[in-house]
Amino acid sequence: MSTIAGGRAARRQTMRRIRPRRSPAVPLLIAVWAGAAGVLWLWWNNTPSIADDKGRVLNAGRITGLLAGYLMALVVLQMARVPALERRVGSDRVARWHAMSGRYMLCLTLAHIGLTMYGMSMQAGIGIVDQTIDAVKTLPDMGKAAIGTGLLLFIGLISIGGLRRRIPYDTWYHIHLLTYAAVYLSFWHQLSTGNDFAVEPAATTAWYALYGTVTALVLWYRVITPIRLNLRHRMRVEEVVEEAPGIVSVLISGKRLHRIGAEPGQFFRWRFLAPGMRLSSHPYSLSAAPRPGLLRITVKALGDHSTALRGLKRGTRVWAEGPYGALTASRRSRGKVLLMAGGVGITPMRALFETLPAARGDLTLLYRANSTQDLALWDELSAIADERGARLMYAVNSPDGERPDINPETLRRKMPDIDDHDVFLCGPPGFAQDAYTALRGAGVPARRIHHESFEL
Amino acid sequence: MKKSHPLRRIVLAGAATVSGIVLLLTMKPSSDPASASAEGAPQGQQSVAPQGGAQAAGNGQAQTLTGDVVKTQYGNVQVRVTMSGGKITSAAAVQAPSGGRSTEVSSNAVPKLNQAAIAASTADIDAVSGATYTSGGYKESLQSALDNAGATGGGSGNASGTGGGGGSADASGSRSGAAQAQTLTGKAVTTDYGPVQVRITVSGGKITKSEAVQQPSGGRSSQISGDAVPKLNQAAVAAGSADIDAVSGATYTSGGYKESLQSALDQAGG
Repeated sequence: MSTIAGGRAARRQTMRRIRPRRSPAVPLLIAVWAGAAGVLWLWWNNTPSIADDKGRVLNAGRITGLLAGYLMALVVLQMARVPALERRVGSDRVARWHAMSGRYMLCLTLAHIGLTMYGMSMQAGIGIVDQTIDAVKTLPDMGKAAIGTGLLLFIGLISIGGLRRRIPYDTWYHIHLLTYAAVYLSFWHQLSTGNDFAVEPAATTAWYALYGTVTALVLWYRVITPIRLNLRHRMRVEEVVEEAPGIVSVLISGKRLHRIGAEPGQFFRWRFLAPGMRLSSHPYSLSAAPRPGLLRITVKALGDHSTALRGLKRGTRVWAEGPYGALTASRRSRGKVLLMAGGVGITPMRALFETLPAARGDLTLLYRANSTQDLALWDELSAIADERGARLMYAVNSPDGERPDINPETLRRKMPDIDDHDVFLCGPPGFAQDAYTALRGAGVPARRIHHESFEL
Repeated sequence: MKKSHPLRRIVLAGAATVSGIVLLLTMKPSSDPASASAEGAPQGQQSVAPQGGAQAAGNGQAQTLTGDVVKTQYGNVQVRVTMSGGKITSAAAVQAPSGGRSTEVSSNAVPKLNQAAIAASTADIDAVSGATYTSGGYKESLQSALDNAGATGGGSGNASGTGGGGGSADASGSRSGAAQAQTLTGKAVTTDYGPVQVRITVSGGKITKSEAVQQPSGGRSSQISGDAVPKLNQAAVAAGSADIDAVSGATYTSGGYKESLQSALDQAGG
């Protein structure tokens, strides 16, 4: 009787600590649409009438141009590493927004160029190619804009799925940084040739404010914040530990690392200042809650970079940016939690397993790996499970290589109350997709499945 | 983790964008350059005393003075005042920024500025809030008109070179001796790219000089105007009528030019 009462009290205590935070995604999207409506209103207000088809084509060019200019600022903003986006909406979701709106922005830009040049060529009675050359040569800031557009097209081209996979990530990333130059170059023609900015000084002010804010945010969160973080914490490699075949943990020491502000489940972008690794920065999750002098990441050797981690020497300087990621305790809304990890996706789950407030018996970790040998960090996980009274389960391939079937029935058989759980999910894309489908089938509502996936 | 359908998303986004833009374009009233002129010409409704010039010649006391054309960010401003006994008895904007929001701003601000000018009898009047540029242009043009009063003394008309007002025939030439020469300013005609207004000098039934007081400007328009307007000026002088060919590549400007030119010629006849 007393144990049950104790369990209830503990559960009540846990519930008090659960404060689900609403993701700011919806208000942000509303603000974005309101801004787009404002841009269209600007056009509407400055256009008393349209004479004929030439006018219609030119005005369609104006609308697409205004929208592209507006969206361009937002596309850059999405990658400014603003904490509200990275930690509350989620880095993965923001990255998908970025890719989607980037493609859309490029299409609007092309439509803007095509329509405007076609309209002008009809007006001038010359061919569209001659008109384009003439416009680039004679109109103010159009030379810059043409170079900027060329850059944007090039960046868009190398971001197309098939081509992108063939280019090393670091090369692609550094080419992608040229976007800043492209945005800068194409900004000026918007003000100097845009009708709406010529007649409406308030619009010019708003445009400067939009681009100025985005520039300030990029500088602050992508440049100044990381510099301050690394000057404060001065991180170095402490030790590299082999956890399982192909999986290593890197222990990182530094000053006051418990004050770094990272929650379990979050990740940093790491740059190891060792020969051949300086230029690349990669996201790895913390595999344990930060301790005063120590952080730990656990990484599977998947690519060049993660393989090279094995050879890191003690004392190597580390440059970190973060913390990022929204897969944290603040996402949950219920007392019971199921953590599902696939392979190296265990890293954030391991940190959450240790720290998520939960009464005894309310926390479950399901760990999927190819074989029992591949269950990295298993000993730690068992120790945590014993200590916290949490359940720990694993699913591995059978000896003949057959994959365990994760489906609604098996899930419900193992956990009859699964639909009363918050589920945190992390793993390779295929695993995450299967698990999501199975969880939905077992009756877990979508809003209580929290996952992070970095596949664009 | 919901299954994404990239193709469906692309098709939906494309269709939504295209239909949205088409909808916006069709919702705008369509009008040709000619019919748009009626709403665009600001001087008609804003002149308080358009006949001041005619009276000036008669009674000797009242004096009509037209200020310089002042360019503002939104368009030209030009003020004409009637002075009697050293006081401004009426003030009007011959030209004020027009088109889109500018029409609205001008129609609100110009009457206030006219009243303020009459009340102050100097160019030291307050700017109308929300119409800073127009107010600034107004004050500058008003000051130049008042300067003319000082320079020419009582009785004589326009100082030379300041230009005539829209709609009324400013017989500035007659006062300086040559009875035949007459400067006429056509009405401002709004085109898709900006207003066009023509001023001509007529002598002996012929156009001796033609120029555009206003023409589309900004970006490509400046370029087109800079090319087309001199040709149109020459054509007008050569033809002696508004029956001139449009300059290719500048159809709208040519149309507006011809219309403004015709209105100036109509004044000569009437």
